[in-house]
Amino acid sequence: MELLCLEMDTIIRARPDPNLLCDDRVLQSLLTIEERFLPQYSYFKGVQKDIQPFMRRMVATWMLEVCEEQKCEEEVFPLAMNYLDRFLAVVPTKKCNLQLLGAVCMFLASKLKETRPLTAEKLCIYTDNSIRPQELLEWELVVLGKLKWNLAAVTPNDFIEHIVRRLPLPEDKLALIRKHVQTFIALCATDFTFAMYPPSMIATGSVGAAICGLQLDSADQSQWGDSLTDLLAKITNTEVDVLKECQEQIERVLMSSLREGRQQQQQQQTQRGPSGKGLDELDQSSTPTDVRDVNL
Amino acid sequence: MCRIMATHKRILRALRRGPARRNLFGPVDREQLHVEYQAALQKDLEEASRRWGFDFISDKPLESDDFKWEGVPGAKVPLLYRSCMHDLGQAGGQRAAEAAVKPKGGRVGSPQSEKENIPCSPERCENDLENLEKTPERRENTGLKRKQTNITDFYQAKRRVVWMPPKSGE
Repeated sequence: MELLCLEMDTIIRARPDPNLLCDDRVLQSLLTIEERFLPQYSYFKGVQKDIQPFMRRMVATWMLEVCEEQKCEEEVFPLAMNYLDRFLAVVPTKKCNLQLLGAVCMFLASKLKETRPLTAEKLCIYTDNSIRPQELLEWELVVLGKLKWNLAAVTPNDFIEHIVRRLPLPEDKLALIRKHVQTFIALCATDFTFAMYPPSMIATGSVGAAICGLQLDSADQSQWGDSLTDLLAKITNTEVDVLKECQEQIERVLMSSLREGRQQQQQQQTQRGPSGKGLDELDQSSTPTDVRDVNL
Repeated sequence: MCRIMATHKRILRALRRGPARRNLFGPVDREQLHVEYQAALQKDLEEASRRWGFDFISDKPLESDDFKWEGVPGAKVPLLYRSCMHDLGQAGGQRAAEAAVKPKGGRVGSPQSEKENIPCSPERCENDLENLEKTPERRENTGLKRKQTNITDFYQAKRRVVWMPPKSGE
């Protein structure tokens, strides 16, 4: 008799659980506890002397790239940024240790959320071996202590399904909308402006921006009844004005990112010359935005 | 629609900065880093000592209004506290068992907010780290899995004596 092992190298995911997603109490509980996991201070104005907002952006961008390249689950990056901000809100940190902190936060978030977490060795390689696994593990303990071991923070990603399923959206567009929302959430996590916003607001604003961006709101005005923003605001108990402002902010960050990207692209083109392979590399992007593979 | 696809291609480009493997802020001062690590742990340990009224370095209770500590023989503590999970060898496990004491009476910490964790003392962690340096590989078949703890490790299993209706089919 032949024995076959059908275990494969695929990551097993639980199916979406209707008991969790369709029960209003879950959303209400998320809204109640989310504030507990916000960083306590706008730390650039007090605690931090050596590091500046642009450095947070540098480390955040690097973390996002690592998460993408390693195909981490979507929530790993926003969760890691939550740890980073909460740590920086209480511990004065030198800029030369910021990348180590970023690596530690990814290490922790990945272990909390993934079936096959990132290893310490891999993360150290991504810092170009400027830190050693030993140091990563030591600082893991320090960071855990400062976070009081409260790692299961609420992230904007926790709200996506709850919001999306309460909106009258065409079934065939849902996957695309989710991707766009995830991209916006990741973008928000790279920008310090959003660090103190409640995750539900970032999620709601991102859903709004995604639907507007995909022009799903203008296709059939009548189905929305109230305007989209009003509906969104109701779902997460956000004030309409605040939500509008948040959505506009997301769109602004998006625009400036695109502008920056364009400039950089031009720079790279001039540096490498027309035969450079820079653009090909850039095109081989993975999560969270392989939207272009989706047939529109 | 093409416009939208192009937009999202550009978002990604905007977020990329060449190869992901890179050093962002120059060399790290290793010695300084280690000193800071020791100091941070020391500080955590002092805070925990104050919080719990217990000196975790010498494993001795402190004078404290909140807790009264009472020694318990190693063999009487639940399995979880007896062997160290990283296969530290006999010494480490033994030490953990001897160190276990239980708080008696005293204040019960408020349920959600104040439960702080007790960090290891620096020496103890050094040992741990030697063993932890290799984080488990993704595809590796590790034989070092920790034994699954059972509820019976903490409570004695007893046969149920109350009358139960016979299950259907019995």
